Amino acid sequence: MKKNIFIVSFIFFILILLVFFYLLTIERNPTELPSNLLNKNVPKFEADSLIKKEKFISSEEFGNEIVLVNFFATWCRPCLEEHNYIKRFSNEEKIRIIGINYKDNKKAAINWLSKLGNPYSNIPIDKDGRVAIDWGVYGIPETFVITSKGIIKYRHVGPITEKVYKKINLLIEKIE
Amino acid sequence: MITKKIFITFIFISQLLLSNSYSVEPDEILQNPKQELRARNISKYIRCMVCQNQSIDESDAPLAKDLRILIRNQIKDGKNDEEIYKFLTDRYGDFILLKPAFKLNTLALWLLPFVFVLVGIFIVFFHNKKSKKI
Repeated sequence: MKKNIFIVSFIFFILILLVFFYLLTIERNPTELPSNLLNKNVPKFEADSLIKKEKFISSEEFGNEIVLVNFFATWCRPCLEEHNYIKRFSNEEKIRIIGINYKDNKKAAINWLSKLGNPYSNIPIDKDGRVAIDWGVYGIPETFVITSKGIIKYRHVGPITEKVYKKINLLIEKIE
Repeated sequence: MITKKIFITFIFISQLLLSNSYSVEPDEILQNPKQELRARNISKYIRCMVCQNQSIDESDAPLAKDLRILIRNQIKDGKNDEEIYKFLTDRYGDFILLKPAFKLNTLALWLLPFVFVLVGIFIVFFHNKKSKKI
């Protein structure tokens, strides 16, 4: 009887150790959280557009093709870093890119884009950050992949790197 | 010498008081004290997603300020606490709650400490029995 309890508790202990080892070894970044909006419809919103006279109405923009939504601002240094990747995405035929200009200066944003190139098909202005809250954004740059049915499939927090660029491309091929 | 001591004591006490400071700015505060108190109580349990180990009540991050203002606006609009918590968790997930909800997937988090206490009691009891025999 005593021996049995000893064996059972020993196995239990080893199992707990294994769980901890598993958690240590799997590749994960505890600061990176999955979006709560994954597999849900894009939030509905209306906003002024930075480059178009007509208002940006989300229900008209999503649901036709695969869309990349990128929150950016001119004051955000990592946004500058990832800008080339956003441009690379814009060269691909399959996707359209919408840039949400987060808490930015209108003039500065227009200058920034004319200097670096504008990869965005439309740019709604999120002046007070309210749109970003509806998207569950907590620090720009953040990029979302939206399916042709208007459903959020992926969220990346932070600048797009080569690795992330490839990952998003693979995902787009998959959901196409 | 005495003035030095008084000075050090003053610094010490002021530091203690400062550690309890909040980030709510004067322009954010609601005029209705009851509503303001509700906003403060909610804010204390909402995690600042930028700094992660602070509540939005203590954080100076811009997003924390945005959320504090948003909570106050919703209170003014007559939303109840539950509706406000739901609004936030719908967008940021359960992670935004500093105190995790008692749900099926947080059951282990809430119950495991009690399980460990029970196991501990069992071990102590078993050990005592064994030593008595000897």
